[in-house]
Amino acid sequence: MECCGPGYASPAEAMKAPRENLLYTIAIYTGTGIQKPDYLCTIDADPESQTYSKVISRLEMPGIGDELHHMGWNACSSCHSDSSKTRKYLIVPGVRSSNLHIIDCASDPRNPTLFKVIDGADIKPKTNLSAPHTVHCLGSDIIISMLGDAKGNAPGGYLHINEAFEIVGRWENSMGDIKFGYDFWYQPRHNVMVSSEWAAPNTFMPGFDLEEVGHLKYGREIHFWDFEKKIPIQTMYLGEDGLVPLEVRFHHNPDSSHVFVGAALSANIIHCWKDSNGEWQWEKIIDVENEPHPEWPIPIPGVISVILLSMDDKYLYFCNWLHGDIRQYDISDPHNPKLTGQVFMGGLLNKAPEVNGVKVTGGPQMIQLSLDGKRLFVTTSLFSTWDNQFYPEIRTNGGCMLMVKCNTENGGMEIDKDFVVDFGKEPNGPSRCHETRYPGGDCTSDIWL
Amino acid sequence: MVIETKKITISNRSNISYQVDRRKPLLDSLREQGVDLPYGCKYGGCITCAGKLISGEINQKAQVALNNRQINDGYIVLCVARPLSDITLEIGVESHNKLYRNPFLDPLETHELKADIATPLETK
Repeated sequence: MECCGPGYASPAEAMKAPRENLLYTIAIYTGTGIQKPDYLCTIDADPESQTYSKVISRLEMPGIGDELHHMGWNACSSCHSDSSKTRKYLIVPGVRSSNLHIIDCASDPRNPTLFKVIDGADIKPKTNLSAPHTVHCLGSDIIISMLGDAKGNAPGGYLHINEAFEIVGRWENSMGDIKFGYDFWYQPRHNVMVSSEWAAPNTFMPGFDLEEVGHLKYGREIHFWDFEKKIPIQTMYLGEDGLVPLEVRFHHNPDSSHVFVGAALSANIIHCWKDSNGEWQWEKIIDVENEPHPEWPIPIPGVISVILLSMDDKYLYFCNWLHGDIRQYDISDPHNPKLTGQVFMGGLLNKAPEVNGVKVTGGPQMIQLSLDGKRLFVTTSLFSTWDNQFYPEIRTNGGCMLMVKCNTENGGMEIDKDFVVDFGKEPNGPSRCHETRYPGGDCTSDIWL
Repeated sequence: MVIETKKITISNRSNISYQVDRRKPLLDSLREQGVDLPYGCKYGGCITCAGKLISGEINQKAQVALNNRQINDGYIVLCVARPLSDITLEIGVESHNKLYRNPFLDPLETHELKADIATPLETK
């Protein structure tokens, strides 16, 4: 089918797209002591360019204290058949401020500009929601998981905005018995959305108190939704195997029911699928062992802060933010993953304190994979208050970005020696880098209808 | 109408002082007078704007971010805290030395948790 809407006809077509030459990466000053706005960096990723591996432009947000975190496009491959749509705007929320920044990345891709701000102070009274997290487009409209009500209590809900970036209201018809929100992903051919659980904003924003996990202030369930009816219909209680389930990644193949969730504190990967009777099942497929540390009274959990699937659904990648490793698993058989690659950068186990001449403060955290699956860009900051607890030196050292070369034939990973962006050397002082997106879409941005 | 003011002294800014409306949050009052302060949520749910109370009394009933250890260490959330007396404060991240702790290396006692889940200290 020929058409000219955004994105690609299929995951296989997406893999043939031109290589990404620019990266859009969030950098924050919130919580650092530097009284400057958070900003969106444009990074040159064209190896033939004079400014390769450098920040080439910076777009500051209008105010301070947003804590930019995740972001998403106004349109993706879910609108590929609609030639009136273009992938032009990044929606960049501030977790703390609840402001949504609409950024024009298409008029001049090397110098994005601020198009509009949806003020958190407007969102709260209209929807009783705060703390925006994941952004997905649904055909022409956009929904955003909001982790709290207007006062920062759980469970929050889903903000619906239209293509003119106006607040429509709440997307969901019911939150059911859901206790917390965080990430979500939908798979329309199975009429399903899966959502995960972090904690109430008032719990996670000030930092992490381990004791609050035992007091059930953090999530341990995932939820299956009737996507068309916009109501949760089934909850999986993961218990100790699924403490703090964060990122949700369906197979890109829209016919597949396989979905993976990273349980951060348990450091497990949870796999769910629809069985031959049409029932959803779950199992733990990867369990990262806690690691001893000479100065710690208890072994260190991995803390799986992110997971990601390659566009061909062959490889699962995740980071252990506290251990400091990125892993690659072959999930050709989703029930039996095979570890095929592992690299270290930073982390608390001291296995790679310096990479490419830069002291790595923090651990591998947000990752983004090229559409062809060969280049994985990695940043080191998790969340300002949590950074300050686990990696206090990040305040003076800042974060950094590295690139990992991934072998897509036989598996394997290797840190690229020529690419490093040291956010410790930013013009306004050390900042911290978080999520990355590519102008043409990436492995966590696009969903097929 | 007479606005009742309190004197706010900032000990880590050369003891500079300001008169502020006692009914307004300290973050708003101080920013209006030109003090450059960090902040995030502006409703008492995150600790981005935290400062440390050196002396005096404040009301921060609306805050939901601090645990009891942080409160006992003097931390106040400026976006909701209002002065009940003249006070002396430390501001900015320089005052945050005890605000952040590694939760695995330095666990909280049950009475040091947030107010809604803390167990009261046993009285003798």
